[in-house]
Amino acid sequence: MASQLISKSESAYIQASLQATPPLRADGRGLLDFRTVLLETGVAPLANGSARLNIGRMPHEGGGGTELLAATKLEVEDVDSGDGVDGGRVVCSVSCSPSAYPHLSPNTLEELQYDLTVILQQAIGHPSLHPQNLTIIPRKKSWLLNLDVIVLADAGNVVDALFMAARAALWDTKVPRTRAVQYRAPEQLQTTRDSAGAMDVDQREAIPAASGFDTREMVRAAADFELPDYWDEGEVLHGREKWPICITLNLLPPTHFLDATPAEEASVPLRMHLAFSFGDPNSPRLQSMRLSGPGELDLTQVKAHIADGERYARELFNALEAKVRDEDIRRNVKARDKFALR
Amino acid sequence: MAQSNFDRRRINGPDESYQPIFESDDELEPKWKPGNPRKGRGARDLRPIYLKAGFISQANGSAYIETEKTKIACAVYGPRQSKTTVYNEKGRLNVEVKFAPFSCTRRRVPIRDAEDRSVAVQIQQALVAAVRLELLPKSTIDIFLTIIENDGIEGCVAAGSVAASVALADAGIEMLGLVASCSAAIVGEEVWVDPTDEEGRIASGTLVLAGMPALGTITSVWQTGSMAPHDAVKCMEACQECCTDIHAVMAQVLLENAGKT
Repeated sequence: MASQLISKSESAYIQASLQATPPLRADGRGLLDFRTVLLETGVAPLANGSARLNIGRMPHEGGGGTELLAATKLEVEDVDSGDGVDGGRVVCSVSCSPSAYPHLSPNTLEELQYDLTVILQQAIGHPSLHPQNLTIIPRKKSWLLNLDVIVLADAGNVVDALFMAARAALWDTKVPRTRAVQYRAPEQLQTTRDSAGAMDVDQREAIPAASGFDTREMVRAAADFELPDYWDEGEVLHGREKWPICITLNLLPPTHFLDATPAEEASVPLRMHLAFSFGDPNSPRLQSMRLSGPGELDLTQVKAHIADGERYARELFNALEAKVRDEDIRRNVKARDKFALR
Repeated sequence: MAQSNFDRRRINGPDESYQPIFESDDELEPKWKPGNPRKGRGARDLRPIYLKAGFISQANGSAYIETEKTKIACAVYGPRQSKTTVYNEKGRLNVEVKFAPFSCTRRRVPIRDAEDRSVAVQIQQALVAAVRLELLPKSTIDIFLTIIENDGIEGCVAAGSVAASVALADAGIEMLGLVASCSAAIVGEEVWVDPTDEEGRIASGTLVLAGMPALGTITSVWQTGSMAPHDAVKCMEACQECCTDIHAVMAQVLLENAGKT
């Protein structure tokens, strides 16, 4: 999004090569090829879910590329007296590390952070994607899901990376299981007072009243909650198949291309961000669409781009799905097997 | 003393305050249920627009737009010299939006915050392709929008783009065409054009489209919420038709204003 400075001749050179037949890109990719995407989940042990994503790491030197770290943290909020909403809420924030954008002033960096946060928040915080299991005690306490993404390095295509990392971190998130609790004083309280006026404690203990800690019928009148098992990580977020995937089409009429490098982003400023949700594989839903950069399109072009974007997003989604499930297996099943073998 | 909201320059109210609860509030109007028609207008009807150009004499160009509960005032200063020393061969378009503290149901802080910036970015995206910035090197055009009453963010972005476009024309800045903007929402199975705040909340998805009807092009699309892709296309087509109507209103207002001076 923050493009580097580029000279007019270099920009014209890149545009001309993209529009040539056959189209040429500096690293030899096709117009629709992505760079290598590396993903690892469970990187932040204190977070409820986390993921680290890298697009375009150079295979031999082992560095470079767009690198992001996403982590989710759950906090308890009070619905009555605090900011909580019945049903829980999801808040996203993106922060750009100054090492990723050394040429930007602090003000411009903050503005870039705002812009990326808004793009992520409007898509992910929308009520249509809200997970169902963020309530602790209905109308009293709920979970606040904080999704924080840090951009550690930017080598182009940050928006796609943001959504991929956010999706992986949300997939990995475990919500702790809670149980509602209320202390209810025993009803049959018989006290005898001795001459000094103090209550006779023994009488109370002799009564086999229902225990104040009986939690079986508490839920409706519950005032507080507890974690039944401290070491249990919890259950996954409901509706995690619905988290969206974004694809950025860089538009250079009559062509378009995916996964731009910084020089390509600077030469082709007009782009379209499309976020699709594949909760139901047969009918994908468009969660966010945004045209950005100086340029104009007509309606037929926009329609064509939406259709193309859907195809590309589906391929990206399938690849990401396979990878996060693989990561789940690696961390759970394989780790247990390795431990059992010892 | 609460650290977070203490503003030295203003008289602060009490730290905590609660709205009084009225018994009659709950049953005022029946809630909308899927299948019910739209309240008060047709699905494709715009709210009536009141537009006035040239009402701030101090600015180079200005416009005021009012559509039922959305009221926005816009002033354009420019082209004037860029404050930065960096040479820019194309002019810069600087859009600043401010929500008045009384514009929403919950008071907004008088300091600029993140939501102001997101509306400003959308309006800039709508206008930047239309203004002939290559004729204004080393210059900046400042567009200041004040939102006096806010009835939904999508309505604000759309009305703000319209007001800014009229103000730019009033300032005599060269453009490729007037930019008209319109919002739409998918409610149930229907497309409702120009949704209010309430309608935006019950909708499953909303879309704001800005373009130049004179050239038939689109300069900005912003969609949020869950929509099937073909529904998004239907919304865009409905918005484009309404943009043509809005363009006629804008042109008429500018002609009248030019006739008077």
